[in-house]
Amino acid sequence: MSFEEQILMELKTEIIARAERRRRTTRRMFTGAAVAGLAAAAAIAVPLLTGSEQSAYAVSKGADGTVKVRIHEFKDVDRLERDLNAAGVQADVTYLPPGKECKDGRGKTTGRMAMGPWPDAAARLVKGGLDINPQRVGKDQTLVLEFAGDQEETAKTRKHEMLWRLTATLITGQVGPCVAVDDPTWKGRRTN
Amino acid sequence: MRRKQAKIATDPVAFDAFYRRHVDAVTRFLARRVDDPHTVADLVAEVFVAVLDSAHTYRADLGSEIAWLYGVARKTISAERRREYRRHQLTDRVGGRRQLDTDDVARLEERIDAERHARQMFTAIAELPKGEREVLELVVVDQLTVTEAALALGIRQSTAKTRLHRARQTLKALPLVMEGTPG
Repeated sequence: MSFEEQILMELKTEIIARAERRRRTTRRMFTGAAVAGLAAAAAIAVPLLTGSEQSAYAVSKGADGTVKVRIHEFKDVDRLERDLNAAGVQADVTYLPPGKECKDGRGKTTGRMAMGPWPDAAARLVKGGLDINPQRVGKDQTLVLEFAGDQEETAKTRKHEMLWRLTATLITGQVGPCVAVDDPTWKGRRTN
Repeated sequence: MRRKQAKIATDPVAFDAFYRRHVDAVTRFLARRVDDPHTVADLVAEVFVAVLDSAHTYRADLGSEIAWLYGVARKTISAERRREYRRHQLTDRVGGRRQLDTDDVARLEERIDAERHARQMFTAIAELPKGEREVLELVVVDQLTVTEAALALGIRQSTAKTRLHRARQTLKALPLVMEGTPG
């Protein structure tokens, strides 16, 4: 995928996220949440590969300090959190089934964009996962990542309009547990 | 109170069309000013994020989309330059750059190379007064009409005309300056 296409995908995600934020609350405080809703077609560009021999995820560190997370399967959250922590990123990761989301209000949001295409975001979506800049996650802050959906495209999920969705938030201080609730904006079946 | 949201900022389909119409022009606009492929790619993203932020300022009856978009791009790039300056002063360059594959880099480098005369032009006109330079940039380098340049800069058309005229008078004394530049 060319960089132009990748930017376009990120921006469309951002438009959906902004609409979502306007819907959820009129208070500008909550601009800390970026919701990435990906149509199944777009998700092909973000293959979260599966394979019997590889582990559920990989965490590595780039020369410039970027923490690269590549996710193959939506499992092993505790270990993933520990590995991220060791790499210098305080993170809280949740995997949810399709059509669910964590209830709002897990903590005090920072009002800063946690995820997006611009350089001052803490995380950005890349092929197969996320690149995180640990310097953008403050000392007392946690990068909260909520994945909902299926990590891979199968004959069954291909029929779905939305394969998976990632909500990223920066929370200051204590992070509350995820209470799974129905996500009214989830797009299950494709309409055509 | 919430301002009315323009369609290109709220409708992914409308935005898609807008983006595809202009991404090439924006990339070239940036390649005329910045010679690093990664920075150009990051700035393309930032310009279109700024489009989402300021879409409510676009009014079709005021003039062309491209003039408005160049206005947005100018503001973005000057914000980037301020940041760049601050960064060099205070800290090492922070990570978090866009990932580009080799094809992307090659294509961007081609464009950056194609725009090298424009970048030389910027150096040559650096001494002009700011107001005159801005108009000249948009008209001679970015090929906008005087009306569009005025719109991009948020100034009156007559002011733009005067400034352009003055800039050209000054540049007559420097015959080499215009060589190799378009228009």
